[in-house]
Amino acid sequence: MSTESEKWEPKILAFLCSWCSYAGADLAGVSRLQYPPNVRVVKVPCSGRINPVFIVKALQQGWDGVLVSGCHPGDCHYITGNYYARRRFAVLKNILEFIGIEQGRVQFSWVSAGEGEKFATVIKEVTESIRKLGPAQRLVKK
Amino acid sequence: MVDLEKQLRAQAKKLLEDKAVDCVIGYENSDDPLMTTPCFITAPNEVDRLVLNCLCGNNLTKYLIGRKEKTAVVAKAWDVRSVAVLVKENQVKRENVIIIGVPSLRIVDQKKIIAHLNGKEVISVILKENAIEVQGDVFSEDLLIDDYLQAGCELRDDIDDSMFDIVIGEMPASKQNIDDDDLIKQLEAMSSEQRWEFFKKEFSKCIRCYACREACPLCYCKSCFVDQNFPAWFSKSTDLSDNMSFHIIRALHAAGRCTDCGACFRACPNDINLRVLNRKIAKDIKELFDSEPGLNPKEDLPLTSYKPDDPQDFIK
Amino acid sequence: MKILEKEKINSVLDFLAGQYDLVAPVSQDGLKFEYAQVKDSSKVNLDFTNSHESPKKLFFPQYEVLFRYYADGRKEVPALETDKKRVIFGMRPCDAKALLFLDKVFDDAKYQDPYYLTKRNNTVIFTLGCVSPQSTCFCTSFDIGPFAKDGSDVFVADFGDFYSFEAVTDKGEEILKKLSGLRDAAGEHISKYEKLSRESAAKIKRHIELQGLAEELINKQDAPMWEQIHLKCIRCGVCSFLCPTCHCFDMIDENQGPQQGARVRIWDSCMSCGFTQEASGHNPRPGGREKMRQRVMHKFSYIPQNFDTFGCVGCGRCIKNCPVRNDITKTIKKLRESESREKR
Repeated sequence: MSTESEKWEPKILAFLCSWCSYAGADLAGVSRLQYPPNVRVVKVPCSGRINPVFIVKALQQGWDGVLVSGCHPGDCHYITGNYYARRRFAVLKNILEFIGIEQGRVQFSWVSAGEGEKFATVIKEVTESIRKLGPAQRLVKK
Repeated sequence: MVDLEKQLRAQAKKLLEDKAVDCVIGYENSDDPLMTTPCFITAPNEVDRLVLNCLCGNNLTKYLIGRKEKTAVVAKAWDVRSVAVLVKENQVKRENVIIIGVPSLRIVDQKKIIAHLNGKEVISVILKENAIEVQGDVFSEDLLIDDYLQAGCELRDDIDDSMFDIVIGEMPASKQNIDDDDLIKQLEAMSSEQRWEFFKKEFSKCIRCYACREACPLCYCKSCFVDQNFPAWFSKSTDLSDNMSFHIIRALHAAGRCTDCGACFRACPNDINLRVLNRKIAKDIKELFDSEPGLNPKEDLPLTSYKPDDPQDFIK
Repeated sequence: MKILEKEKINSVLDFLAGQYDLVAPVSQDGLKFEYAQVKDSSKVNLDFTNSHESPKKLFFPQYEVLFRYYADGRKEVPALETDKKRVIFGMRPCDAKALLFLDKVFDDAKYQDPYYLTKRNNTVIFTLGCVSPQSTCFCTSFDIGPFAKDGSDVFVADFGDFYSFEAVTDKGEEILKKLSGLRDAAGEHISKYEKLSRESAAKIKRHIELQGLAEELINKQDAPMWEQIHLKCIRCGVCSFLCPTCHCFDMIDENQGPQQGARVRIWDSCMSCGFTQEASGHNPRPGGREKMRQRVMHKFSYIPQNFDTFGCVGCGRCIKNCPVRNDITKTIKKLRESESREKR
């Protein structure tokens, strides 16, 4: 068991808004910043594009964690997309935890195009916290 | 009760005689002694079919969606709020509907009565002032209405006046709630694993008949996410993961819109505690955004609006 | 007919559970009963009116994988045969009769459905006569009745202090021989049996007039009454999913991961929005009127024409569980009393 869990690496799905967080990830890349290779990135036009279905579906498919990242409030390319998203995320996060998905499986961040370093830090933190949770079990479709 | 019924019949008769509406949607008696059934009254001489009592559970505002004719609908406090949401979302034209509000009517929970009687079949019911007498093959028992009220179903004193065209009975003097938030508090205090076990037990009962969805006045999508097959987001199987996903997403789709009318819970043939998710979301939304849906049709719904300083401690 | 003292029923159930896969009514809360596989008699509860969900799902599950396929070209059909025979104890006569109808659907001259038939042939059914039918029951309208034996292999009746066992088929005869503790019925038992059968049938008050109904409904396809009776239906699937004879299904190729998929069969309902929807998006049954008409006509007109039996057995589940208390017996009555065309 112990050898298996040592081998296990969390697989994390990251939805990044194309204007801020995706560019932030780019900056982290061109700045040669190191961060764990556990995330797979899906580019979305805006954090407001995130349908809760995406996140629930990801958990069902067996992703160990989901990160959603967008522009800081006030910086949205579409002016208000992330304001609406923020309310939805608050509700989504609470209900997932309420139904028994472990706290931290689904995380959110604001990362701007200039915050390459913050992006690397966020990925490190998210990966480590999900590693602590262990492999996703509950909503995974067997 | 009898008074309310008389008033309702008189009002319905007048509306139909004056041709103010084409149809009055209300309740009539059914063969099930513990429940009434919806009825559509189109002629003044049929108004005596209408009944109004604690067995009038269904949320009739569902029938307003897509109706072109001018319609009057009998609505309890939480049903009135459903109409307010439907008006806000442009599903129902306010001027097309005459709301016959019964703001202080409370209803009994049939499932509680059946559980109390241990499944013994009720053959007839006699309505009394504060009680209902249930009669079966070899038994008869008075049940106090207050002991069997449907949970949730808040009486509100703060629903906007514009939502009532006709009021039957008194307006409640204050907000009154048949509370089962204890369950939510208990669940919140549990560990994540315990909560999962609770919901696992509930949602493994689901047979995906979609009675909850079809009974819900807010589920009016032409094509539900779960019926879409290109892409097919979730399987139609009764696998726990699919059931769970369906109910999580359905609750989220009703977030900030649900007025806790209990239609989903009453419709469910397998007695799943569907309200607990909706109620938890409503509680969170009240705490986070200080907003409740359906009290005023002019106010924005909580999830289609925002404030720049909304809480965001959970975001890195 | 054989007789078994009531206190010996558990030893019979234990014996059956040991020799076969025993499926019998169980209940979590004493309110809703379901058929479940049991290891011994301890969980079996025979004090019930009828199961909440119909036992059709034991033969025709709501979700069934027909075969799986893989990206590397492999295909795989799930094993159908099991080495153990299955005994269902305590099915009600209406549900047993419903199986005879499902047999006609899944086993006709041209097509035999192996998924259904394997389970069907592997199962021996002990039907339990109804002594306390509910107010929603109307099986007698279909010549079924609480003591009908159609579809049973063994017919069991509960007399309070003893059970009667009667083999109906050879399959039943064979299994009955293996049961110990049974003794031959005497004349008093036979007369008690007949009395109980009569009394139980008399308790059923609900009725549908079926004489000439199939033809009449064809003439009333465009009756204005359809506009009325669909109004309160909310088009959920409770009636069809709980019905013992509803058998419409959909077949879907389901993606089950990056490298594999499965063709599955799932229950469908004439009430669901996608039912009979065509690829173009057009649906010949777009609204409540057409959907309700399909359900009623299918059960009481099309099935009688195609299979020479009704697509309803009068179990009453759809009446009891309908969220808006739509009542099929009343619907039929209203239709029969209505005009076939609008009066001019």
